[in-house]
Amino acid sequence: MKEQEYVEKINALLLEMNEVLVTLGDYVEDVLNEKRGGLLPLTTELCRAAQMKEEKVLEICIEALIRFQPFAGDLRTIATSMKVAYHLSRICRYLRNITEIAEEFSLTDCETGSVLSLFREAEDMVQVALNSYLQRDLKTAKDLIKADESIDQRYREILRNLATGIYSGTCILFNGLSARIIERMADHACYLANETIYLVTGERRIID
Amino acid sequence: MHHKLEVQNLSAWFDEKQVLKDVSISFPSNNVTAIIGPSGCGKTTFIRCLNRMHELVPGARVQGKVLLDGRDVYKDMDAMEVRRKVGMVFQKPNPFPNMSIFENVVAGLKLLGVRDKKILSDKVESKLREVGLWEEVKDDLKKSGTMLSGGQQQRLCIARALAVDPEVLLMDEPTSSLDPASTAKIESLIRELKEKTTIVIITHNVQQAARISDFTGFLYLGSLVEFGETKKIFESPKNPLTERYVTGRFG
Repeated sequence: MKEQEYVEKINALLLEMNEVLVTLGDYVEDVLNEKRGGLLPLTTELCRAAQMKEEKVLEICIEALIRFQPFAGDLRTIATSMKVAYHLSRICRYLRNITEIAEEFSLTDCETGSVLSLFREAEDMVQVALNSYLQRDLKTAKDLIKADESIDQRYREILRNLATGIYSGTCILFNGLSARIIERMADHACYLANETIYLVTGERRIID
Repeated sequence: MHHKLEVQNLSAWFDEKQVLKDVSISFPSNNVTAIIGPSGCGKTTFIRCLNRMHELVPGARVQGKVLLDGRDVYKDMDAMEVRRKVGMVFQKPNPFPNMSIFENVVAGLKLLGVRDKKILSDKVESKLREVGLWEEVKDDLKKSGTMLSGGQQQRLCIARALAVDPEVLLMDEPTSSLDPASTAKIESLIRELKEKTTIVIITHNVQQAARISDFTGFLYLGSLVEFGETKKIFESPKNPLTERYVTGRFG
């Protein structure tokens, strides 16, 4: 393959992959928006669609690796795209889990208070992390990882409040499990930001 | 880390034209180091400076130091000693056409005065085994080396280079004229040979450099742009020129 042809083809494939990632991000954003007013509703089709997009990203990555044996920035784009797609899809599954828990307890209404507020904070983190990746914004990614401590603190605070009886009945379980899921969701936002750091700098860092 | 070969501020010219500019690289012992770069960047001139072959070209000259275990190959060693210790394999397989397979392998040894038939026979078998050619040619040792396939001829040339037990093996695009199967055999052989030898390979195939080398240097317009561990060079190069070259977005 001639140099120019190689560049054109890999550029086209990377562009296609980016478009799929953006769509996957849009799906996650839609699911997050559904839950903004309350944690219970969820369109499961969106999660299924997100999962399909994750598979599509993997498919494109594998094709790029086979056809082009890419290096440097291209290689990092491919490696991080696989992980970003996984984290986004995982976030979607977390959101579905919240609905599943509600269904399990036949909850139609539940006072979610501080858990919903925790969710909104985590939701912002996911959107900021995704944007930092798509825009290769190193500073935002680094700041976001630092911000995770606040989510962890609030999560622990919610657990303490649950234990001291502010909530009652099955809502205690729902809120406790949801808070745990949301805290994990925020962790995945940090993992997303970590991919931005690797993509831009080539330095891999392990975050807890 | 011990460095078998060290190049310090090496510059080279063909008459007035400077083709290498102040290149410094230390080659770690028992590792494969790949030199990559676009056509005309000075790769071949560079490698030919390492065993004093550059000086064979009329009008060619060199400045700087090439140290083999600390000895300056231009000042402290004669050219014959350098070329015995620093062997070379060329782009196209070049078995001596008027010699048998056996004679090809021992050609260097005979030049060094080795005449003992047992020693020569043992060397032929051990070196042909080392390059994975013994089973294929053991019954045809008296046949001409040019009767072999391209990949076999190149392995024969490697056996010939190895017969004098070089400490460094220079390889100038050794697989560029070979098919994928022969290329794979040579690449596998290179990985095995580094246990005994320090290898410097020139390749214009960046994928090959990534596959087989431990360290990589990127040459451009006669200057060394970047040198480092192969994983680092191909995953996150520091210099934007290297980035553009390894991703194919050059020029």
